Amino acid sequence: MNPVLLSFLQLLFLMILAPAISWFIKKMKAASQNRIGPKLAQVYADLWKLCRKDMVISETASWIFHAMPFVLFAATLAAASMVPILWNHSLFGFMGDAILFVYLLALGRFFIALAALDTGTTFGGMGSSREMTLSSIAEPALLLSFFALGFHARTLSLEGMTAHFANASSLQILFFTSLAFGSLLIVTIAESGRIPVDNPATHLELTMIHEAMILEYSGRYLALIEWGHQIKQLVFLTLLADFFFPWGIATTGGAAALGLSLVFYLAKVFGLAFVIGWIEIHSAKLRLFRAPDLLTVAFVLAILSLLGQLIIGRGV
Amino acid sequence: MKTALEILRERFGDAIRKDLKGLAKQSHILVTKNEIVEITIFLVQNLRMRFLFLSGSDTRKENGAFTLHYIFSYAQQDEFLVVETRIEEKDPSFLSLSPFLPQANWQEREIQDLLGLIPKGHPDPRRLVLHEDWPEGLFPLRKDFKFQAKIPRQKGEYAFERVEGEGIFEIPVGPVHAGIIEPGHFRFSAAGESILKLEIRHFYTHKGTEKSGEGRSPAHLLCLAERISGDNSLAHVVACAQALETLAQIDVPPRAQFLRVVFLELERLHNHMSDIAGISLDVGFSFGASQLMRVKETLLRLNEQVAGTRLLRSAVPLGGVRADISEARKQWLMEQIKKIKEDFEKTIQILWQVDSLMDRIETTGILKKEIAETLGAVGPAARASGIDRDLRRDHPYGAYKDLFFMIPVFSDGDVESRMKVKVQEIYQSFKLIYDALRAMPQGSLRGEIKPLIPSQSALGYVESPRGECFHWISTDGHGKISRWKVQSPSFANWPLIEYAVLENIVPDFPLINKSLNLSYSGNDR
Repeated sequence: MNPVLLSFLQLLFLMILAPAISWFIKKMKAASQNRIGPKLAQVYADLWKLCRKDMVISETASWIFHAMPFVLFAATLAAASMVPILWNHSLFGFMGDAILFVYLLALGRFFIALAALDTGTTFGGMGSSREMTLSSIAEPALLLSFFALGFHARTLSLEGMTAHFANASSLQILFFTSLAFGSLLIVTIAESGRIPVDNPATHLELTMIHEAMILEYSGRYLALIEWGHQIKQLVFLTLLADFFFPWGIATTGGAAALGLSLVFYLAKVFGLAFVIGWIEIHSAKLRLFRAPDLLTVAFVLAILSLLGQLIIGRGV
Repeated sequence: MKTALEILRERFGDAIRKDLKGLAKQSHILVTKNEIVEITIFLVQNLRMRFLFLSGSDTRKENGAFTLHYIFSYAQQDEFLVVETRIEEKDPSFLSLSPFLPQANWQEREIQDLLGLIPKGHPDPRRLVLHEDWPEGLFPLRKDFKFQAKIPRQKGEYAFERVEGEGIFEIPVGPVHAGIIEPGHFRFSAAGESILKLEIRHFYTHKGTEKSGEGRSPAHLLCLAERISGDNSLAHVVACAQALETLAQIDVPPRAQFLRVVFLELERLHNHMSDIAGISLDVGFSFGASQLMRVKETLLRLNEQVAGTRLLRSAVPLGGVRADISEARKQWLMEQIKKIKEDFEKTIQILWQVDSLMDRIETTGILKKEIAETLGAVGPAARASGIDRDLRRDHPYGAYKDLFFMIPVFSDGDVESRMKVKVQEIYQSFKLIYDALRAMPQGSLRGEIKPLIPSQSALGYVESPRGECFHWISTDGHGKISRWKVQSPSFANWPLIEYAVLENIVPDFPLINKSLNLSYSGNDR
């Protein structure tokens, strides 16, 4: 198959799969509460419903408010298109490396924080300030864990790193990189706005972080934001799968290899989603001022991973 | 030993004008209006009485003046002291107690709004119950006010207290909230995430319930009382019924007294269950929340089977109770309660072991004992701040004097303490229901209904799940209800929250609010 087409299709696949991951976590939470939970179709129906609904937009909203959903979605998608999903190439993998990936996400975050301030409502500013506080620790932690992994793989390209770990013998990738795994997992929880950092299911505006920033959005814009958020969550899970459970990823575009890769991939991301859901069920949300502590742990883990490799060597 | 009345007479002499005849457990004295502050200070400081609430009424037809009733509790002797004073229409003002007794703050402002009597020397004379859009000079509790009248709105703006300084901003929250709750406005002044000041503005749901009870029949009044605060329906109706029963000298049969205890404790159970579930939900621990809500639903269904309604409405009429619990039913109910207790115990054991939940509730929203004491805190909120206060023991009503139970008191005053108080009270309620069912004597369910005594006042009181709930009812010369004052626990406790949130961060406010769980409707009436 044409590699470009294949890369494009795998990105499309990721976009379609993203809401299902959210559904899976919702279903887990429902099970812990003696509820049945939503059907799989429900998460897609919700997005479709939002797409058809009218939007209520504040009169004081400027172009930033209107541009934000598109910028956020585009930035997230661009970041997603640099990540190998089913086979170890990606659509834009040739263009940039992990640093670009981090900054694309930062671009989306910058706009979402700006748009939250734009309408001048009570909770938007609060959400922006919290998001920025937390991301000022989460972002360096993310970068450092990329550096730690990149040092091991001798490349910062996400494609290259995936290829490196896929080819490395499994014992080799265990010790120091597993510290980076801890780091990346915490960042994943923070970036996808989940307990214990943020609570996606709350109605209490005063406690919100991510939700507080998008309170003013409705209709199509909200659908874009929600979908973008779900894609971002899956991208992080995919990265975790690529780097730490690199088995089964297709190296050629053949149907058999891709089929096998698909099975492996689904098992991996749903397995990781299970971990996220398990944490969400078993813990309460952290006090806001404790959340930076957790992210600092991620930062320290990433540093340890990098330093350990620098001192003892890449082979361990 | 001298009675409080004799001591007062010795001390104040002429100021004590008359010793009026009071009904059961109520001493009633009439004093001149200018001595009221001194007398109150003396009662509170020297005789260790506790100021409960203030009720004002328009009695111009009967005695040509407005009447204020200051109600005090004298727990040592299980007595209430009612200090009455008259205020002439030509000088509609009285000395404010608030500088000395901050808990009188809202009480006096309510009188100012509803009766047009000015508390002189009040430190904060802004409007409280009637907002600024209510026209000047129109006082709903006066007898010449038409209840059905259409009131024009006027322009006006409430002045919030400002905190000024670099980087300090205000966060307005409400009156319309995200959850399905009632309206109330919260104005935070915050520096970053730390709360420097919180000002609450309520009474958006003021419905004039007290006014609408005037002239009604006792049965109608009970219906109204039931609707003051949805989840505390029974506590209000029992308090109101007790006041009416005292007024009409109705004897409630012993069996009915015990059944009332069973129902009241069932009400406490479902309230506390939902409060603890709410705390768990607000820290984002949904497992605990849904398990406890499930237990609550079981309790509500149990209520429906026992009393016919989920929230125990219509369970208590004047003079007794409506539904009986037969012998066979009794065994069944005891078994159900045992099952629910086990269910609850399992969940709560899990909750205490979740570190992240404990971390959220420990040291959050500390309400110091002195502040709680000064502001007249009641109920679980007071008991979590180290104030040992419970009407069921201090002024036992119904069958509570025949039953043995503990009153849990914790002293940290944080969310954890409030949760602990509620958990322990749940255990005590299980025990009380069990004991009351076993000790229940045979007999009739309702006493003989008699008319109300004319020109008399009586107090009814219940320790509702939220705290002390008082109903004060006065009759006119024809034995009709002329004034109905409801002192709900929420009215006493709402001002506490302004102090409980200090030194906390904004995102912890919902949790602190939930741990106090006050009613808007009960407060606004």
